[in-house]
Amino acid sequence: MELQLQTVHSSTSPNLYRAISPSSITFSMSEGLFYNVANGYVEGIIRGYRNTLLTGQQYGNLTQCENIDDVKLQLGPAYGDFLAALPPNPPTSALADKALDKLVAEFRYIQANATGSLAKFMEYLTYGYMIDNVALLITGTLHERDTRELLERCHPLGWFETMPVLCVATNIEELYNSVLIETPLAPYFKGSLSHQDLDELNIEIIRNTLYKNYLEDFYNWVNTHPEVAGTPTAEVMSEALEFEADRRSINITLNSFGTELSKQDRKKLYPNFGKLHPEGTLMLSRAEDPEGVRIAVDGVHDYRTFFDATGMGQSGGSGVGNMAGGAGDEGKSLEDMFYQKEVEISKLAFTRQFTHAVVYAWVKLKEQEIRNITWIAECIAQNQKDRIGNYISVF
Amino acid sequence: MSGAADREPVFATRQSLGLMKSKLKGAQVGHDLLKRKSEALTKRFRDITRRIDEAKRKMGRVMQIAAFSLAEVSYAIGGAGIGYQIQESVKSAKLRVRTKQENVSGVFLPQFESFQTEGGSDFAMTGLGKGGQQVQRCRETYTRAVETLVELASLQTAFVILDEVIKVVNRRVNAIEHVIIPRTENTIKYINSELDELDREEFFRLKKVSGKKERAAAAEEVKRQAANKAGTDKENEIDEHSVERHDVLGDQDNEDVIF
Amino acid sequence: MALPQSAYKDRQFLAVIGDEDSVTGVLLAGVGHVTDPPDSQKNYLVVDPKTENSTIEATFDRFTKERKDIAILLINQHIADRIRHRVDAYNEAFPSLLEIPSKDHPYDPEKDSVMKRVRKLFGE
Repeated sequence: MELQLQTVHSSTSPNLYRAISPSSITFSMSEGLFYNVANGYVEGIIRGYRNTLLTGQQYGNLTQCENIDDVKLQLGPAYGDFLAALPPNPPTSALADKALDKLVAEFRYIQANATGSLAKFMEYLTYGYMIDNVALLITGTLHERDTRELLERCHPLGWFETMPVLCVATNIEELYNSVLIETPLAPYFKGSLSHQDLDELNIEIIRNTLYKNYLEDFYNWVNTHPEVAGTPTAEVMSEALEFEADRRSINITLNSFGTELSKQDRKKLYPNFGKLHPEGTLMLSRAEDPEGVRIAVDGVHDYRTFFDATGMGQSGGSGVGNMAGGAGDEGKSLEDMFYQKEVEISKLAFTRQFTHAVVYAWVKLKEQEIRNITWIAECIAQNQKDRIGNYISVF
Repeated sequence: MSGAADREPVFATRQSLGLMKSKLKGAQVGHDLLKRKSEALTKRFRDITRRIDEAKRKMGRVMQIAAFSLAEVSYAIGGAGIGYQIQESVKSAKLRVRTKQENVSGVFLPQFESFQTEGGSDFAMTGLGKGGQQVQRCRETYTRAVETLVELASLQTAFVILDEVIKVVNRRVNAIEHVIIPRTENTIKYINSELDELDREEFFRLKKVSGKKERAAAAEEVKRQAANKAGTDKENEIDEHSVERHDVLGDQDNEDVIF
Repeated sequence: MALPQSAYKDRQFLAVIGDEDSVTGVLLAGVGHVTDPPDSQKNYLVVDPKTENSTIEATFDRFTKERKDIAILLINQHIADRIRHRVDAYNEAFPSLLEIPSKDHPYDPEKDSVMKRVRKLFGE
């Protein structure tokens, strides 16, 4: 039944009428009927936003630009007022900041209009950014910096009301006992990190432990919450989160080679779900080189394809990072493949209706767009035009 | 003894003439050597300057590539950069420099040499969950960039030192060429002229003395002759002739006074 | 003509004054060093548009005059421009002063104080 529904609605039409047309009622489940009561408006808006994403044509125009001012001009229709305040030939970081501002503004608007499970869903989306912010503040506190300055550096989507309070703490124990407990992230600290850990462990381990707990919690939520479980939201989000979990597991494994991170500690950072879980992650935890990783992910077709495409884990294959080995190498890197996959999952999410997942997908697509813009601007600013084509177009 | 001619304050003696001559010789040899050193250094200096010029331009490119790899990192990590975390995780320098010396025509030029200390990087885990590979690559790129910078720094230090040394050497060359050598030559000339003057005086004095002696001898002769007037006139005539022959100084006129 | 060994024997660090990106990059290469407490001294300074010129000058002086363990000082050219008089007046062999380009400001040989001297010497 779900499948039929999918084919009826094209990805681009935010058409709400069809959802309640007789045929749809017959085939769709009840959640489709009532979804629009609470969330139809938001979904419509999101689909509208999605249609404002830059197209391949626009990216083509962007890559032809001679300088940042041209880029600014080209982005005019899409970003309008947000870029108006920029000085002539702004640094690329400023451009990225303004683009992010637009995403944040739109996200806030959606958030303000979201109710019920969607509101909670959106909160979950922000937790990922909160983790980064908290990690930043912990770093600052550890080094006895004025954490107030750090607030400016925090990701705006990860802003939470009690965040400024974090700055009050002057040492880690205080931070842990009285302040972190008040944040939405408290459950992720509980049970896996003590305040001594904050002091001793590398901040990256803390960050990834939190992220693992967050992903598991989010995954659990979409599959158990009464309003969400069993709906397309659960279905799409499960896929997306599983992918995210696998991506993190693979990345952590690859990045841990040659560091002091032990295999036991590494294993603790793998989320306990995903396509690779449990056999894949077990093998990942034992992997000692990219070849081991390749064998570990062999069971999942997508990842195997990625590894084959990048030539990783085979003799002579060295292209680990982004853009694989610098100028001149046309091959895509694993990270690129992951981003590509993420875009695909997000794109497919829009083929579904009555789902919160479109919000997630939109945020991801928008982020990719900002990355693309930054990349293109960077290439132009630094005269590296030969690699300008390495962005990932959404459409 | 006037101050017009610049020379050493010496007594015009044969000994100091000898000293001055050896000094002049020394100055000339020194001048040649320094001149050659200066030329060698200048050659080296020009070479270094050219290399600095090249290296600076190369640095422009290298740093751009490095900056670009940092852009890749922010692309991979997305959004907020890693700057703050990097700055705060700094503990102890892994990449340091040591200094060696290189001898160029007697000038010791320091040469920086970068080396990695033992132990893992402070940033090995940066970007563990996302973008770590880019971070590592960016690290390598920047390490290479910094190595280029270290090379350039060596050149530049050599430039600064050589510049200084060449200035000193040239100053010496010029001092020898335009002050010491002319002055020594002046002194030699002065000593020579003084010595000539002394020679002439001595000669004249000797002449005078010998003239005086002759005159005294002649007067003696006259007295003797007067005493022996009774002697032959023939003898007297011969004597007169001999006086005329000796009178090279041209004071025949005085004869009348004497007689 | 040799410099006394003490002039550079202990100089083993690089120092950097630059914008956030340049500093981050150079630190990534592993040049960062924080001396032992209590007077934890960093060998880098991040300059943003809000940083006062006096701060830059003070840091410049500290790196060039006070600290005896710095062999090379890297400074972003556009920041060197802000304290140009100091940079041009700087004439020592140790630490060696290098002007480096930053991401947003490509290298301009015309401004480099060493390059200026080079050109002056050859009368170009």
